[in-house]
Amino acid sequence: MLEIKNITVNYESRPLFTNLSLTIQRGEIVALTGPSGSGKTTLLRCIAGLEVMDAGTILLNNNDITNRPAHKRQIGLVFQDNQLFPHLNVSQNVGYSLKIQRVAKQTIATKVHEALDLVGLSHLADRSITNLSGGEAKRIAVARALVAEPEVLLLDEPLNGLDSELHSRLLEDLRALLTARGTTTLHVTHDHAEAATIAHRVLDLRQLFS
Amino acid sequence: MPATLFQQNRGIKLLAVLPTVFVFTFVVVPVGNILFTSLKFESLKILKSETILNVVWFTTWQAIISTIASLVIALPIAAVIANFKFRSQRLIISLISVPFILPSIVVGAAFLQVLPNSFHRTAFALILAHTYFNFGFAARIIGARWLQIHPHLDDAARTLGASPRQVFTSITLKLLGKVILNSALVVFTLCFTSYGVVRILGGPSRSTIETEIYFRAMQLGDVSGALVLSLLQICVISIAFLLISSTRRTNRLQIINTTISRQRLINKTSQKLAVSTICLMSIAFALVPILAIFRKSLISNSSLSTNAWREVLSNTRVLNSLITSLGYAVVTILIATTIALLAASSLAYNKNFRFISALTSLPILVSAVSIGLGIIVTFDTQPFNWRGSQMMLPIAHALVALPLAIRAITPVLNDIPDSLRQASSVLGATNWQVWRTIDFKIVRRAIIVAAAISAAVSLGEFGASSFLVRRNSETLPVTISRLLSRPGDILQSQGYALASLLIIFSIIVIFVIDKFSTTESANSRA
Repeated sequence: MLEIKNITVNYESRPLFTNLSLTIQRGEIVALTGPSGSGKTTLLRCIAGLEVMDAGTILLNNNDITNRPAHKRQIGLVFQDNQLFPHLNVSQNVGYSLKIQRVAKQTIATKVHEALDLVGLSHLADRSITNLSGGEAKRIAVARALVAEPEVLLLDEPLNGLDSELHSRLLEDLRALLTARGTTTLHVTHDHAEAATIAHRVLDLRQLFS
Repeated sequence: MPATLFQQNRGIKLLAVLPTVFVFTFVVVPVGNILFTSLKFESLKILKSETILNVVWFTTWQAIISTIASLVIALPIAAVIANFKFRSQRLIISLISVPFILPSIVVGAAFLQVLPNSFHRTAFALILAHTYFNFGFAARIIGARWLQIHPHLDDAARTLGASPRQVFTSITLKLLGKVILNSALVVFTLCFTSYGVVRILGGPSRSTIETEIYFRAMQLGDVSGALVLSLLQICVISIAFLLISSTRRTNRLQIINTTISRQRLINKTSQKLAVSTICLMSIAFALVPILAIFRKSLISNSSLSTNAWREVLSNTRVLNSLITSLGYAVVTILIATTIALLAASSLAYNKNFRFISALTSLPILVSAVSIGLGIIVTFDTQPFNWRGSQMMLPIAHALVALPLAIRAITPVLNDIPDSLRQASSVLGATNWQVWRTIDFKIVRRAIIVAAAISAAVSLGEFGASSFLVRRNSETLPVTISRLLSRPGDILQSQGYALASLLIIFSIIVIFVIDKFSTTESANSRA
C-alpha cells in the first residue's frame, strides 16, 4: 500500500501543490488526471524519489520512505518519453535492473524473455532501440520497469503521442497486464477516457489538496 | 541535404575554386613532394637509427601519458560544467579554455618559470605542460557532450535500482565513451606533434619527432631525414584522424537531449564543497603559469622593475617583430577567413561539393613544422622560387588556421533553413540580395569568430615560422624563443614581456570567441 501524506512542493518559490494526500491499496490501479502544468509529473517524481519535497511523508507498506534514495525505494517509473538507454539493445534495456543487482546471466536471460513475451515483443530481443516504433518502445519501457518487480509502478502519460488505433490497443494490453500481475499502479494522464478505461479509481489532482 | 536556393545558380560552383587551388598548391603539392622525395630506399634507412627510434618512442609515450593526465584532470571539470548551474560558471569555462589558445611557446616559457630548475629538460615538465595545454579543451568537449545526455536517463536508471556510482559507470560513462575516446585522440595528436613546448622546455635532450624534423633540416642539413620523419608523422596523424572520424560517425547514432537541462542548482553542502574545490583547483592550474610569466616580465636582477617592458618598447628589433606579427596576423585573417567563407559556402549551398570538406581538412593531417618544411622544399626552386616572399609565412599561418576557421562558419551556414532564403526570394530579392540580407547577417558573427581564431593562430604560430621566418622579419614567437635561449636576466625578462603580450591577446580572443559563439547559438535556438 502506498500512502502519500500532506506533501507540499514549491517550484521557483511558488507552491505547485500544498498538503496533497493520496492512498493506493495493494494491487489497485489509480488514474490521476489534471490539466497540463498542474504538477502530475512532479508528483510522480516525488514518489519515485527523483524530486525533493518541501514537506510531507510517503509510506510504502507502512514503511517511511520519504528520505530513501530513488534506487532503494522499489518504485518503478515509466517515463512519458520512455527513456530507453540508447547504448543498450532491447534485451539489455529490459534486463538492466537485474544486471546491476548482479543476478546470474542465465536468470537474467530467462526473466528478460518472460518480460518480452508478456509485452509480445520477444522477437525484438536483439534489436537496437533506435530501430523501434513508438508502440514497441513503449512496451519495452513497461517491460523494463516490470522486470525490476517494483512494489508500485508509476506511469507518466505512457500513451501520449501514439496514434488512436495504437493508443487503444496498448491501453487494453496495459490494463490486462497490470491486472494480471496485480501491480499497484498510479497512472497519470490528461485523457479522461484513458483514465476510465485503465483504472479501478480515477482522481483529479486538484481533489487531493486539503 | 536537399538542394538549396543557391544550388540552382551556375556561378555557385566557382566558390569552390579558390579553396581548392589554395589547398592543392600549398598542402597537396608540398606533401606530394615530401612523399616523392622521402620515399627512397636510402632515405628510409634513417628509421633504423637508434637515435630516431628513441625519438619516436619518447614522442609516443610522452603523448600517451600526457593524454591520460589531461583526461584525468578534465573529467571532474566536465562533470561540474555539465551537472551544475552556478554564478561565474561561464567565466570559469572561459578561464580553463585560455591555456588551449595560448601559443605553445608561451606555455613552454611559463613552465620554465613555474617549475624548479631541476625539472627543466625533463619528461615530467613536458607532460605537465602538455596536460596544462589540453585539459581545458578536453573538459569543454566532454562537458558539452555530457550536458546533452538526457537527465531522465539517469532517473530511469535510479528507479530501476542503480546507485549513483552504478548510474555513472553503466549509463553516463558508456554514453560518454566515444567522446572521451575522440578527445583522447585529438589530445594525443596535439601532444604527438607538439613543437613550441618541446623546443623551449625539452631542450636538445628531450627531442620529439617534430623538433627532430627542425633539428635535422635546419641544423644538420639532413633534409631527406627530416622529410622521412615528416612523412612518418603525417602517417600517425592520419591514422588518428581516421579513428576520430569513425568515432564521430558512430557517435551520431546516439539519442541526445536538447530540451531538458541536466544542470541543477547546488543545494547540498557536500556538492558545494566538491564543486568549489574542483573550480578553484582548475582555475589555479590555468592561471598560475600565466601569472608566473607576468611576474617574470616585471622582475629584473631579482627586483621589481619595468625595465624589460621599457626595453621591449624601445628596442627596434623587438618592436619590429611585434609589428611584423601584427601585419602577418592581418594578412592571415584575410586569407583564412575569405577561403573559409568560400569553402563553407560551397559546402552549405551545393551538396555535390562534399570533397571540399575533406580537402580543407588536409592541413590538420600535416603538422605546422611539416607545412613549413614542405613549403621550403617545394617552393625553393624555379619557376616557383617563393621562399623569400613575405607572403609565405601568412600563407602557412592561414593553412594552419583554415580547418578551424571553416569549422567556426560551416555549422552556422548549414543551420540556416532554406525556407528563409525562399521567403526572401519570393519577396523579390535577387540571389545576391538574399545572401547579403539573410546568410551574411546570420553568419557574420561566425566570421568574426573565424577571424579571431585566425589571428590567434598567426600570432602564436611557431612551427612553420621556425622554417619560413626571415632574419629581418622575425615574428613574436621566434623573437621570444631567441630571447629565452640567451643568457642574461634582462633578455629573459624581455622574452617574458613579449610572452605577456601574447597572453593578453589570447585572453581577448577567447572572450571574443565565447561572446560571439554563444550569442550565435542563442539566436539560432530562438
